[in-house]
Amino acid sequence: MSAGLMIDLTVDGKKVSVPAGTSVFDAARLNNIEIPTLCHQQNEKPIGVCRVCVVDVGARVFTASCVRPAEQGMVVSTNSEKVKQARRTLVELLMTDHVSPCARERQSGDCELEALAKQDNLARSRFAPQATRRGVDDSSMSIGVDFDACILCDRCIRGCDEIRENFVLGRMGKGETTRIAFDNNLPMGESSCVSCGECMVSCPTGALTNKVINQTAIAAPGSEPVSLQELNELPFFEGVSGTFLSLNRNAVVRRRFKRGDVICREGEYGSTAFYILDGEARVSIASPIAHVKTKGAVKRFLGKLSSRLTQRQNDVRDDETGQHWIHIDAPMDLSYENPVATLKAGDLFGEMTCMSLYPRSATVRAESDCTVLELLRNVLDIMQRNKNFRAQLDRSYRQRALDSHLRAVPIFAGLTDEFIEGLREKVELLRFSPGQVICRQGDHADSFFLVRIGFVKVSQTHLGGDMVLAYLSRGDYFGETGLLKGDVRTATCSALDHVEVVRISAADFAEMNRQFPEVRHQLELVDRERTQMNRERLTALSSTPLDSFLKQGLMEAQSLLLLDLDSCTRCDACVRACADAHDGVTRLVREGLRFDHYLVATSCRQCLDPLCMVGCPVGSIRRRNSLEVIIEDWCIGCGLCADNCPYGNINMHPFDVFADVPGSPGQKKAMVKQKATSCDLCSEFAEPSCVYACPHDAAHRVNPRQFFAGLLQQSSDKSPKD
Amino acid sequence: MIFSELREIQRQFGYLPAEELRTLAKKIDVPLYRLHGVASSYPHFRLTPPPRADVRICQDMSCHLRGAAELRSAVEGAAGQIAQQDVRISGTSCLGRCDQSPAVAVNDQIFSGLTAGHLTVMIGNLLADVPLPTPVESRHRVPCALDPYQTDEPYQAIRNFVQSRDAKGALEVLKASGLRGLGGAGFPTESKWQMVRQAPAPTKFIVCNADESEPGTIKDRFILSNLPHLVIEGMILAGLLTGAQKGILYIRHEYEEQEKILHEEIRRCRKLQLLGTSVLGSDFTFELEIFVSPGGYICGEETALLEAIEGRRAEPRNKPPFPVIEGLWNMPTVINNVETFANVPAILLRGVDWYKAQGQGGAAGLKFIGVSGDVMRPGVYEVPMGTPVSELIFKYGGGIPNGKKLKGFAPSGPSSGYLPASLADVRLDFKSLADAGSMLGSGALVVCAEDRCMLDMALNSTQFFRNESCGKCVPCRVGSQKLVAMLTGWTHGKGSAADLALLDELADALRLTSICGLGQVVPAPIASVLKHFREEVDSHLLHSHCPAGVCPSGKSGATPRIDARVQLRHA
Repeated sequence: MSAGLMIDLTVDGKKVSVPAGTSVFDAARLNNIEIPTLCHQQNEKPIGVCRVCVVDVGARVFTASCVRPAEQGMVVSTNSEKVKQARRTLVELLMTDHVSPCARERQSGDCELEALAKQDNLARSRFAPQATRRGVDDSSMSIGVDFDACILCDRCIRGCDEIRENFVLGRMGKGETTRIAFDNNLPMGESSCVSCGECMVSCPTGALTNKVINQTAIAAPGSEPVSLQELNELPFFEGVSGTFLSLNRNAVVRRRFKRGDVICREGEYGSTAFYILDGEARVSIASPIAHVKTKGAVKRFLGKLSSRLTQRQNDVRDDETGQHWIHIDAPMDLSYENPVATLKAGDLFGEMTCMSLYPRSATVRAESDCTVLELLRNVLDIMQRNKNFRAQLDRSYRQRALDSHLRAVPIFAGLTDEFIEGLREKVELLRFSPGQVICRQGDHADSFFLVRIGFVKVSQTHLGGDMVLAYLSRGDYFGETGLLKGDVRTATCSALDHVEVVRISAADFAEMNRQFPEVRHQLELVDRERTQMNRERLTALSSTPLDSFLKQGLMEAQSLLLLDLDSCTRCDACVRACADAHDGVTRLVREGLRFDHYLVATSCRQCLDPLCMVGCPVGSIRRRNSLEVIIEDWCIGCGLCADNCPYGNINMHPFDVFADVPGSPGQKKAMVKQKATSCDLCSEFAEPSCVYACPHDAAHRVNPRQFFAGLLQQSSDKSPKD
Repeated sequence: MIFSELREIQRQFGYLPAEELRTLAKKIDVPLYRLHGVASSYPHFRLTPPPRADVRICQDMSCHLRGAAELRSAVEGAAGQIAQQDVRISGTSCLGRCDQSPAVAVNDQIFSGLTAGHLTVMIGNLLADVPLPTPVESRHRVPCALDPYQTDEPYQAIRNFVQSRDAKGALEVLKASGLRGLGGAGFPTESKWQMVRQAPAPTKFIVCNADESEPGTIKDRFILSNLPHLVIEGMILAGLLTGAQKGILYIRHEYEEQEKILHEEIRRCRKLQLLGTSVLGSDFTFELEIFVSPGGYICGEETALLEAIEGRRAEPRNKPPFPVIEGLWNMPTVINNVETFANVPAILLRGVDWYKAQGQGGAAGLKFIGVSGDVMRPGVYEVPMGTPVSELIFKYGGGIPNGKKLKGFAPSGPSSGYLPASLADVRLDFKSLADAGSMLGSGALVVCAEDRCMLDMALNSTQFFRNESCGKCVPCRVGSQKLVAMLTGWTHGKGSAADLALLDELADALRLTSICGLGQVVPAPIASVLKHFREEVDSHLLHSHCPAGVCPSGKSGATPRIDARVQLRHA
């Protein structure tokens, strides 16, 4: 088409002249004749799939005006009865299977399809709706997907491809089953989508809409709204659609803190993350670094017991980790000896609180005057999916945190600087959404993982069902079993919440084992222990008959406190004894499930699926190899584990302590801090206090499987002979 | 390239595991969504592991007439006890064996003439790891009137041209012969070649459309088996005449035997120097390769076919531009049907007069017609263009089985709609059939005996279009599904007069606004049945009664529903 060449044509009886190459749609538009359309918008390449913009050019069939170039002498009719009728039928067809009102219509009243239907007075479609609905995808934090509102106009696809060049979205399937899909039909939240919002902004209907996490702005005192322009200028919102940002404006605020102000406090619940724009902040743990130790008087056996806070060097418990690092919800770990660190401009903290609503893991205080962005989940998600921001976070992790993170795992403490240096650029940093599988049992083992953020559920599938082997949190690792044996994965590891892991390839893992035989040796020891333990548990599982015992969930227990109801007089001596033994805080409640003539008292059951361990913001709750729960010294007393335990077996034990006065360094004042405790089997004593105290010999601490197996054996022995 | 990679993965794993797709996406630097979008849109690719016995029974027109549904329910009954991950019985679109109905694909191997007993044994064998028998197609070649080389050395037309180099003359002969495209649309061949010849482009392509997938259409399979040399010669001539140096023969993947025959013929041509950088020692270059379709009727639409070759979803392009201007890789491209190419050598060698003399009743040339459905001898017949339908049914096809009478026929599969027995004397040529409100199409005569329900046939045809719609444009994707729903309602005795008005509107939208021919012909079957078999439709609509006793409404024995208030508008 040579420049300047004009084409003359007639549109709806009007003679018009347009530059060569102009589409019929534009020729009409430039002359104030509006042709309705759904799939065409000015900033995207026209594809002519909705057919709503068809016009009559005197040919056998109509032509889509958006893709048809104007031709010399063409006579176009955009609004004849025939054209309007065909268009009306198309809208009616689309409305038949469109949820109405769709999310967009409900949110902002501007669904383009529903607007056309209203223009045509199409209240109800006369066609029969499709029997099966196409469903919704709720996996993205910032964008809602409703396939039933989708009209397959491909505007999102072109937005993703042409405008943002992210290449995530496409059509899948064929014919009536065609839908849009992310990557290879992954849930949007698990796909490679970067949450730029372009698809959502492009969508004419409620198929892709902005998810409103919070109706109101973050209502913290002194928070300032951030203008769209300011947001746009932040590098980590680069490539994000302006409309999308503007829709999410309320979910991000700016806050200014004076030196000494508390930004967030450990143990508090929250739903936001913080990003430091300028200034520095100090992150620390204010709770005493100690655990609850119950001591009996030397002479008397019962009665004068007391619980005290004791540091691990003064009270070495069996199976205690020699861990020197406390994992917190920030880009670094704190040292056991001195749990303090500095956060700088460009640091992001509070991700786990924001994504998974866990309590704050540490107290952050402004070290100098500083400016911070406080973000809700959807905005954090947009940032984290941003390539620039991702790169910044990843770089900072590789540079600052990888070594401490690796060395915080005692087994890896001995890795040399050179080796870690070599790993720095080689490791992969991966994110997973809740429920997403990280590696699957039976798959070929090709990598080793270190948990960075969140909780990973490790489970094994057996004939009888799934068994949870462990919940792993920051600082834990997995994937070594398959690698060491050069075999397949022995368990499935999946993300329980928002999870980020460091992936070390099989080759690098092998190299590490070659260079550091001690690491290999340790890994093998741990592996052997884990395998052995799993085997034992499995044997136990498979040898127990499936009866009401199992239905009551008692199978879960490794050890139970049983009260023989035939002998028990409900005197509560056991409860009192427990309280006496634990500073007045009983860890035993004489209530619970019944089996046969036994009452299963509520006392830690050391479950096979230890829900108490999920969510601990500092990773201080852990199981010994004996499966008893152990609470590490850096428990911040947030109480989440106590809330999580379905059996009420973890209790919060208050202590008076002296702690720093906020804003006045050096000053200390008395305050109450709490620590989590659970039944410790009165390990100080020959027998648990409760059992010892029972005057009727009704309390027993038993291994349920052996105990009930004996019982079941008896009854089955009896019955046939009788 | 994408398809060959996907095929390789499928060969290795039996399907396309997500992880392999991910790896491939990285390896060839193609977005994952594109690989998945492509793989999920072609029937050949599987995204989940296949069952041990995968039985797909053709459900379209000819097979439908020859008991496919009964076969399917019998096999489903027999296999009902077997776990689903081991056996899957499903319906499938036309497998191109309409002369041997019903056709069945078992683990992607095509069998015909099987009974439910055979199939049950086959399934049992597969579960016991006994391999399938290998179907053998006869390599015996049937002599055809179209073949100018019955006794002579073939490829004479190319030799003549390389000597004379008279492209103008050759094109004039083609023009004078009036040869039109024989794949369905009937576009003048010479004019297509002329446009490509004159297009100023560095690269041009010749594409042969051997993707015949319309129910009843089997003539290309016959031509590829019996006259492969004419098809290849036609393609080479097209290349020499238009200046295209590359030819691609696009063949449906169910035609494995024909693919082998073609490969042998291409090898022979290479030996004879008919292909390569110096055709017969001249400065002409022509290369030819075979592209195996990953499946789907829509690939027969010429621009969807081009999209498929380019490794994308088979979605037709908006036209204009037509392929002669912007075809394969946006270059001028000749796309012709197998039979069109096969006609060229004979016309050039024997001349216009010979060609014209081959036809009857004013039509020119020869025509291969596939005859199937309710006939004694289904098959492909080479007849003079203009032969009456009745002659094909009763003389060539041997009449209707069991002495039944003719009720109607589709001159060319579902696209042509149905004509009544009273029009059986219509001649099979472009003009006569167009005058009768139908079309010559691809030459797929499907015959219906007196005891068939024409509404049921219209529904079956519409279902085919719905199943094969690519889903690109709204009218076809949604409209075909709504039309099937409406007609299904009718066959169940649930229809109303209002439906007829709605059908009119829907038919107009489909015809006028669909991107390609598929969408445009969706309403053709029911429109023709309403035109020619109106009483039968009215009986379903007014009385919930199927006169032929085929539809569920008639079978259920519902009391006739007579509603005097219903006034049916004539479509």
